[in-house]
Amino acid sequence: MSRPLPWWGWLIFAVLAALPLTPWMSRYYMLLAFDALLFGAVAMSLDLLMGYTGLVSFGHAAFFGLGAYSTAVLLERGVLSLWLCLGLAVVVVGAYALLVGYFATVRRGIYFALLTLIFAEVVYTVFRYTQAFGGSDGIQGLPAPQLWPGAAIDTPVRIYYLVLAYLLLAYLACRVVVRSHFGQVLVAIRENEDRARFLGYDVQRYKMGVCLISAVLTGLAGALYPGRAAYATPDLMHWSISGEFIIMVMIGGLGTLVGPIIGGAFFILLQEKVSSYVQWYSIVIGLVLVLIVLFAPHGLFGVRRAIRERGRREASASQEARARGEAPG
Amino acid sequence: MNGDVVLAVDNVSKSFGALAALSRVSFAVRAREVYSVIGPNGAGKSTLFNVIAGLHVPTSGRVAFGGADITGLEPQLINRRGLAKTFQITNIFPGISVYDNVRVAAQSRAPVSGRVASLWRSPDVEGPVTDLLSAFGLMARRDDLAQNLSHGEQRYLEICLALATEPTLLLLDEPTAGMTPGETKDATALIRQIAQRRGLTVLLIEHDMSVVMGISDRIAVLHFGEKIAEGPPEAIRNDPQVIDAYLGGVDD
Repeated sequence: MSRPLPWWGWLIFAVLAALPLTPWMSRYYMLLAFDALLFGAVAMSLDLLMGYTGLVSFGHAAFFGLGAYSTAVLLERGVLSLWLCLGLAVVVVGAYALLVGYFATVRRGIYFALLTLIFAEVVYTVFRYTQAFGGSDGIQGLPAPQLWPGAAIDTPVRIYYLVLAYLLLAYLACRVVVRSHFGQVLVAIRENEDRARFLGYDVQRYKMGVCLISAVLTGLAGALYPGRAAYATPDLMHWSISGEFIIMVMIGGLGTLVGPIIGGAFFILLQEKVSSYVQWYSIVIGLVLVLIVLFAPHGLFGVRRAIRERGRREASASQEARARGEAPG
Repeated sequence: MNGDVVLAVDNVSKSFGALAALSRVSFAVRAREVYSVIGPNGAGKSTLFNVIAGLHVPTSGRVAFGGADITGLEPQLINRRGLAKTFQITNIFPGISVYDNVRVAAQSRAPVSGRVASLWRSPDVEGPVTDLLSAFGLMARRDDLAQNLSHGEQRYLEICLALATEPTLLLLDEPTAGMTPGETKDATALIRQIAQRRGLTVLLIEHDMSVVMGISDRIAVLHFGEKIAEGPPEAIRNDPQVIDAYLGGVDD
């Protein structure tokens, strides 16, 4: 097996880990950094579906929101163990993902996007109108979760380190999966679903599998959210949030894992910065997306690859030119 | 002598609405022979293949492979029993490398495939993949994207994908479609040679008569969805009904 992370990966991780030690990281910036990493992790999880398998989910906000509510319900009842919160999120999101995944992959094509959206809207509506979950206000004023009794994750720095650890572990897990046999079959399905079937692969099973993995990783990220915000609201499950997740993946670069992390962080920082100056921030974000689609269709991270490939093309072109130059002599 | 039969197509009919694409077609393919199905465009050849390989469920009749009924099974299940198919229109994984194309095909037979452990493991199939690429002269292009191959190379890759699943019966749907006469000749010889070396049974669809006559042990002729003749190449060539219906008086 290859190295788990390249050197620049460890470098970035070290910089992120050192971030809270720098003097200018106020509470505000700490929480902003938390959001950037958290939604980076969500976008990376969605990339397993979008970038590697070629399935666009319009319902990832439901996985995120169900994770958040799992934590919120337990914290509200005085169950403070982070591990129980994460465990409940895995069970709830996993069960829901299998249900959605089954129906969304029975038919091919547009149905995946449609059914993930419809299921997510149902979940949103249920939580929006169920008083046991606080209705449209959600569950507010939650206590901080604890790593173990007495070790509450109750400061921005602690919750930041928690999400950083989660992002690293989730990234390593995704990296192993996309390099595995399973991951290679996903790419084959993206490239040519029919052919994959004629090579003996049960395509629906693979789609359900990756849907489950992507959903659970998204749900775990969601389960960390109440630790930062002290609430879970139905707005977390709104379809527009699913749309933002898709934009994060596209900004970052499909099928790269690292790209969507950058895309998610970039989106959060951009949204926060622009919205603090103007009301119409979504226009700016839309414009940025259009520019990226036009000039960097493989996303921010894809620019790196494009430069490398251009270099290779030029090298081989000059080689050919040299070969041609010698031929007539 | 039924023990010898690898594939038995028994009274298969397939209709699409009012159109009868196949009517009561029967034939049997014996182990290690090259059996060809010929017929003009629209004769039902590709429909026949799609029924055998599991893309279409026949309206009536049954298909048995290796003695077991496979009628109506899903394509991936039929493939796992050892029946692999190539496509008339090149059907590869365009955006990944030639090597990765064949690797993902070969890995489908690894014991870990389909198990949870395949989430973190990647079975080593370097040997069989390299063998296949060498046999078809694709080693120099192993790192190129499949979509950047020439048409002839893509046709070869198409066959590599099917062979990588280690079939006992290979269904070739016009493998030389779009090739130049020179390429066709090379490809035909190569297919024959590989089939012999691997002990494969081959079921071939072709409309190019020179290919069929040179490679086949037996030939069946389809015409408007019905089998009108069957026999060794010489017999087919001289069958007046075949000449009437299909060859249209072509001598040779």
